Amino acid sequence: MAQDALRLPGQAAKPIQEVKEQTYWGAVRFKLFRDKITMAAMALLIFMIAITLAAPWLTENFLGFDPTDTNLRNRSLPPTWAVAAWPEFQHFASTCQAGGIAHCSWSTWSDVLSDSAAGVKACLTAGPGTCHWMGTDQAGRDVLSRGIYGGRISLRIGVYVAGLSMTLGIVMGLISGYYAATLVDDIINAVIQTLSSIPLLFLLIILSGVFQPGPEGLAFLLGIFGWMGISRLIRGQIFSIRERDYIIASRATGASIWRIMFRHMLPNVSSIAIVIGVFNIAGAIIAEAGLSYLGVGIGPPLPSWGNMMQGSLGNFTDAPWLVLAPGLFIFLTTLSIYLIGDGLRDALDPWVK
Amino acid sequence: MRRSLTRYIFRRGLQSIFLVWLATLIGFTVYQLAPGGPLQFLDDNPKRTSADYDRLAQMYGLERPTLVQYLAWLTGEDWFAVLPNGLAWQSGRCISNADKCGRGILRLDFGRSFYFKGESVIGLIAQRIPATFLLGASSLAIAVVVGVPAGIYAALNRGRLPDHIIRFATVLVNTVPEWWIGLLLLIFLGGYLGLVPLGGMQTIGDGSLPDRLHHLILPAVVGAVGGWISTSRIIRFEILEVLNQDYVRTARAKGLSRRVVIVRHVLRNALLPFVTGLSGIFLLFLSGSILFELVFSWPGMGRLAVTAINSRDYPVMMGLFVISSFLGILGVLMVDILYSFVDPRVKYEL
Repeated sequence: MAQDALRLPGQAAKPIQEVKEQTYWGAVRFKLFRDKITMAAMALLIFMIAITLAAPWLTENFLGFDPTDTNLRNRSLPPTWAVAAWPEFQHFASTCQAGGIAHCSWSTWSDVLSDSAAGVKACLTAGPGTCHWMGTDQAGRDVLSRGIYGGRISLRIGVYVAGLSMTLGIVMGLISGYYAATLVDDIINAVIQTLSSIPLLFLLIILSGVFQPGPEGLAFLLGIFGWMGISRLIRGQIFSIRERDYIIASRATGASIWRIMFRHMLPNVSSIAIVIGVFNIAGAIIAEAGLSYLGVGIGPPLPSWGNMMQGSLGNFTDAPWLVLAPGLFIFLTTLSIYLIGDGLRDALDPWVK
Repeated sequence: MRRSLTRYIFRRGLQSIFLVWLATLIGFTVYQLAPGGPLQFLDDNPKRTSADYDRLAQMYGLERPTLVQYLAWLTGEDWFAVLPNGLAWQSGRCISNADKCGRGILRLDFGRSFYFKGESVIGLIAQRIPATFLLGASSLAIAVVVGVPAGIYAALNRGRLPDHIIRFATVLVNTVPEWWIGLLLLIFLGGYLGLVPLGGMQTIGDGSLPDRLHHLILPAVVGAVGGWISTSRIIRFEILEVLNQDYVRTARAKGLSRRVVIVRHVLRNALLPFVTGLSGIFLLFLSGSILFELVFSWPGMGRLAVTAINSRDYPVMMGLFVISSFLGILGVLMVDILYSFVDPRVKYEL
């Protein structure tokens, strides 16, 4: 009605455009989907997860090697496509070793490159079960299929650790922020201070060396020693909002402590928590690799990206693919996770330019 | 003011002693909870009989109550409960000479190693501490010498190329294990190009300074990368924080040159908080030493830890844990005290 009254004579009635109010999560999604790097990282991560999930099918139909099949005649073979190029590369290395870097025979590289290219071409046309794309390890197992299977363990540990340390960190941070400057807060702070002034890697290798946990146990160990940073951060955030009006209002209306903490405080720190959680997954994958490389993480029959490198300890210059291949898997996965975390950090502040 | 500082140092000292005690408790608990018991290393020997277990358990006093064992480990066999039958032990053998027994970790006796045939744990660790310190100190020096100027430079050239390089390096360090970078560099620079030695601290029979430096350079540089990046990030963040302060604007407004403002007003205030960051970096090096020492065959505490774990040498493991915790706690304490001296605004509360 009012619209009709305001309309000037001769002007046609225009339908009122309804402007949809932009919600916070809507804005986050909008910003996230426009961020090309994050989307590319997401695609890479999905690809990595997909190949680890499809590991049995992939190894059977495309690679033709079982990750646990040992073959002592095929110990530490170079990648099949590099069979011709590898001795040439070793020759190049020996010229460098003998005469110093000035006397390297750089001309060998043209042979190395052309032979590798020919090898890759031959491998692409050959059927499954003929090509070790990433060579074999010290027991003659196919490195690529072990890498794909290893992702199942490494990724699982990453997710478990992030879940556990996030839960612990958020709960502890909420409690100590809510009860700031009381005995509860002091106790939690004392625990954090204790854990952050001892070198945790020593404790972790002792614990995992003594108890020899499986993937779940290792994730538990990494999780219960990885929550301190999150808790500190959440505590700081809670501390800054605990005297806000809406918190006081809900306290005045008789809301329980748990309701205030989880319904009113937690949503205000959730964006930070999500970002840290994502970074935590990457950190846990790297930590697992370190422990397994030391020989105290995941035990040998199970492949993980860390313990695959452990096999290279004695002969890493003769079989560099044992170091390169698992590291590449770790790099691709953690890079994608890290970039997603980075993108999320920007996107979760959607109205900041 | 001075009195409160003394009190602060005293309280932090007491707190640190408590933390070290807690570390001994943790170490001992792990030892007690170990599946198969402390003598599990015997399982590797096919000739052992159950009588051997009993004999050794008696020698080490393992059938005593847990609390007595803990106190004996902590304070020594002579101060606390002597072994049954008046026996005392040394290097796995029972002898009757009481002053050669375990004297307790309070008097720096961590017992005898199982794997290194009865050598004293403290001796094994003492032999290896200099190597770990050499590597850690060189890494720390490189990290600070490179990291602080890089952080300052990145902050003052925010959003330009140097800033991007540091961001890129941060991503790289966070997405691959640093020891893996070290391993790759070792393979390519050492194994193929022959530029650096493949490991160890010196060529056997050649302890000259150039040779030692040649062995040190790659481990120290790779070990410094993590500390370098975190130093740069802390410094960059602090400087950007300080640049927004009113007193910096005032200094600019009253006509001081850019150089004077940055050196006198910005850097002074931005570098202070970095002192607290040092303790984190110190712990990083202490923990990181394990992996770097394994990669570079560096004969330090970290490699001893790996050997001890793999041979279930519990006395060495416990000794390493207690000593590395002690070093870590001491480092944090010293940084805290240093900070309270350099920053007069610090509040002396816990």
